[in-house]
Amino acid sequence: MIKLYDYVLSVNCYKQRLMMSILDVEYETVPVDFFPGWEHKGEEFKKINPLGHIPVIDDDGYILWDAHAILVYLAAKYDPSGRWYPTGDPGLLGETASWMLFAEGTTNTASAARLCINLGYDFDLEACQAGAHRLFRVLDEHLWFREREGREWVCSGAHPTIADIALFPDVVLSEEGGISRLDYPALRRWTDRVKRIPGFEGMPGIFPASQGR
Amino acid sequence: MTADPFTLWHPVASEHDVPYRHVHHGQLLGRELAVWRADDDFVNVWENRCLHRGVRLSIGSNDGTELRCQYHGWRYANRSAGCTYIPAHPADAPARTICNRTFPTMERYGLVWSGEEPVGEPPTVDVLEAGTPFGLRNLPVHAPADLAVRHLQAHRFLPSDRLDSGSVAMSVEWADEYSVALTAATTDTDDGSASTAVFFVQPVDSGRCVIRAVLAETPAASDQMAVLRHHATELNALVARIEAEAALLPAPEPMVPVLQQVPLHLAEVPEAPSGRQAALRVQVRRKWETAAGVAAFELAPIEGLLPTFQPGAHIDVHLPNGLVRQYSITNGPGETSYYRLGVKLEPDSTGGSVCLHSTVREGDVLAISEPRNNFPLRRDSMRTILLAGGIGITPLLAMAQALDRMSLDFELHCFAQSAEHTAFSDVLDGLGESVVRHLGLPPDETVAEIRRLVAAPDEFTHVYVCGPGPMLEAARREAAAAGWPDDHVHFEYFKNTTEIDDSSTFEVALARSALTVTVPSGSTILEVLRESGVPLPSSCEQGACGTCVATVLEGEPDHQDVYLNDSDHQAGDRIMTCVSRALSDRLVLDL
Repeated sequence: MIKLYDYVLSVNCYKQRLMMSILDVEYETVPVDFFPGWEHKGEEFKKINPLGHIPVIDDDGYILWDAHAILVYLAAKYDPSGRWYPTGDPGLLGETASWMLFAEGTTNTASAARLCINLGYDFDLEACQAGAHRLFRVLDEHLWFREREGREWVCSGAHPTIADIALFPDVVLSEEGGISRLDYPALRRWTDRVKRIPGFEGMPGIFPASQGR
Repeated sequence: MTADPFTLWHPVASEHDVPYRHVHHGQLLGRELAVWRADDDFVNVWENRCLHRGVRLSIGSNDGTELRCQYHGWRYANRSAGCTYIPAHPADAPARTICNRTFPTMERYGLVWSGEEPVGEPPTVDVLEAGTPFGLRNLPVHAPADLAVRHLQAHRFLPSDRLDSGSVAMSVEWADEYSVALTAATTDTDDGSASTAVFFVQPVDSGRCVIRAVLAETPAASDQMAVLRHHATELNALVARIEAEAALLPAPEPMVPVLQQVPLHLAEVPEAPSGRQAALRVQVRRKWETAAGVAAFELAPIEGLLPTFQPGAHIDVHLPNGLVRQYSITNGPGETSYYRLGVKLEPDSTGGSVCLHSTVREGDVLAISEPRNNFPLRRDSMRTILLAGGIGITPLLAMAQALDRMSLDFELHCFAQSAEHTAFSDVLDGLGESVVRHLGLPPDETVAEIRRLVAAPDEFTHVYVCGPGPMLEAARREAAAAGWPDDHVHFEYFKNTTEIDDSSTFEVALARSALTVTVPSGSTILEVLRESGVPLPSSCEQGACGTCVATVLEGEPDHQDVYLNDSDHQAGDRIMTCVSRALSDRLVLDL
């Protein structure tokens, strides 16, 4: 069974829990005392991941770290339909890779702002918030045009991809980093759609959406 | 002279912003708004604040008829914003005066309009009235509205059918404080292509606004995406220029919205109601036969909105022939634009149902009481069993819809003579597999079925029964025999068939009113109290509905009602003053 080195309040760990819940993959978590214990920076944990960060998965001895890399692996291995990581469609695969890189940006701005406020990280909070607003403005416009085209997801396919999973937690928890989504109505509507994906599970601070009509 | 922005209509959302089952987060003149479309297409514009702990309602969930706050599950009804449910409230009956703040709403040109205290109607724009309005992408701007309006007058774009045009003349059709209309016309050809766009500027706060643009004519379907992209590009560039200028100006002080004061009628001690109240006037909007011998009525308010109600609630209906009858509200949660009743024709009764069936017609005006709930539904049990006999479906139908909407586990068993005798089949069909129909069972098989359904008591389940007397007696007997505690089995009687013995004479002392009266044989406690000027609400006045309850402090009641259960009767601490009397010489009531 997959072992996930996990911290319940980490957005990057939540991305893995969400993906495995949607793909109906069985896993167990190994809680890491991220805060206030800084266990991931300790010598013991660095034997598992020398970079000293979580999440890390151990799939029967295969060890992988980096949140967005793990999403690639999980979808490629455990989604027999091939839709979450669409290797069979080069155009869609390119879009997915592009938005995964965009999600690195939202993680390093929106989610970094959240770490400043919630866990006292010493980042430049104002720069993180301003950066998140710049990216959210782009993403809101992108999703607004997607809706006009009759599409629901970040990439142009009819089915969500790992890019939606990579972006969702950074966006939906942004208010914990002092980043209001008042100016991004299309982004807010997209979070409702992600919440309605079968198998969706939340984390503290994320509420379920109502049933669709 | 500039108009007071608080008396104007402003756009607060576009139609794209309010799909079903979503809550849009908006802001106008400094005040945050929760904007949501109900399944009946009414768009609600509310203060973005749960009355409970001030949590933003924009993170709540819109279930189509009600908005549910995410923190503690308070629910507010479509249209009226009345609070319908407080999870921890023991009686499942929040005061109907608990009401969120609402703002006027109107949809026009693909925009949702609202305002603090807007006068008249939203602006009418001739070019949009005459055209086929087409909404463009809205853009939030970090700059005051007046700065955006000034820049918009120099804004440029291309006619929808000439996005390749080399040379375009722009003209300002008009500009006022919150809107600008521009026409773009080609000058490099003789074809005279031109497009007009109206830009409405929503003042979000002193230093922020949203530009909401509407083209007067909808482009050809094949051009629409290109037109939308063209305008988004041009507007993005404009917004960058506006924000660059705003960044050089001193930031204005944010607006401070005035929070509503507690209304006077809530601040004062309410007048105690006495007797049967008929505070509301309603019109019969629709009357139809929902099952053999059962007429259904939709009662709509003559003006304003109807009060919120809880599942299980009933109203008094004052009939043209002078009778007053109680009928359960069958509506689902949040259905506030009308009350739907079901009335079975009972030709040999005293004339209430006959009058409703034969005399009352569509368009008639009736006086009704505010809803009252003496049959409350607990929404904190793991499972709920609803047993409906015939027209006894009415209160249970409201309960079933509420449980269904909250995704709580329930089963609704409908006992009826046949499918044709099953009222509100369309609503039952919508509840899917939770509904079980038991059709055409003879009395002994009905009893056997009830016995089977209540065979396994458990502390996490509650049972609600409504139907004819013999069925209720059977349910009461079978539930007791199976070992259900009294407080897990709830009954609603249509009427009290007990023969009332009013031969006793006794004294009633009122502890709080410092008054002692004698109740002679032939009179009820309720009547004597009312004659003595002690107000007490009542409804059915036959010991079935529970409205005229009083708390007993001393003395032994002579219970003759069917509202209280056996445990209540034994406890002897409550009495139905319309029929019950005293076995002791004296009763002391907490009145």
